Amino acid sequence: MNLISGIDITAGALNAQKTRLDIVAQNIANAHTTRTANGGPYQRQVVSFESALLRQAGIDGPARQTVRIGSIVPDRAAGQQVYNPQHPDANAEGLVSMPNVNLSYEMVDLITASRAYEANLAVAKNARSMAMKALEIGK
Amino acid sequence: MIDPVFQSTNYQLARKLLDAAALRHEAIATNIANAETPGFRRLDVAPDFAQQLRAQVLAGELSGSSSSLQPKLSEDTSARSLRPDGNTVEIERELLTMNRNAVEFEYLSDLVSGNLKQLKLAITGRG
Repeated sequence: MNLISGIDITAGALNAQKTRLDIVAQNIANAHTTRTANGGPYQRQVVSFESALLRQAGIDGPARQTVRIGSIVPDRAAGQQVYNPQHPDANAEGLVSMPNVNLSYEMVDLITASRAYEANLAVAKNARSMAMKALEIGK
Repeated sequence: MIDPVFQSTNYQLARKLLDAAALRHEAIATNIANAETPGFRRLDVAPDFAQQLRAQVLAGELSGSSSSLQPKLSEDTSARSLRPDGNTVEIERELLTMNRNAVEFEYLSDLVSGNLKQLKLAITGRG
């Protein structure tokens, strides 16, 4: 048993949500990047989470699971083709392949991730105040 | 001689309920961490803990020898999912339960502190 109960579960979730926010930031920053190291336009990155077993099922009930980053994979969907012959990355027909980043999706993801982060942070604060209260017993 | 303080029903009851509150907090932490895990079923302190505790209090088994009753977690089978992914966590409900649990924990720890302070007063004669 931990002094601060459940803090390891919350820590895993905070870390996962933070990574998701970083990836959203990367996607938005590269919303107009038409040339990358691999050639071609930037491809939007997608984060997927996976459950991680923290403690086996035991005397005090079922197994505890936290979340962690499973994988970060590029979204293979094709981006828009924009007609812009002056653009340095335009092809022979004057079309530029734009990244497949959709700002509306990214904003929704941003809000979901930051709300989830806040909820987990509230749990961590609460756990701390409970632990402090337990240390004050008898004072 | 000091046994009556540590083995009074209220003191023993507060101890058990503090254990349960700490464990419930762990369940809430798991639930909020897994709020987006498909198919996750929310955890809570097993409902038979409260029933067994009440039965022990009524039967007078709680004071005196320490009882072996321990709270444990179980999947909340009564929670229904309204989401297509089958997850039964409602984040607002978890946050409310968490706050209620924190208040309960604070109250119980004050109660235990109060018991100990009374004992101290009886020993030293000053508060």
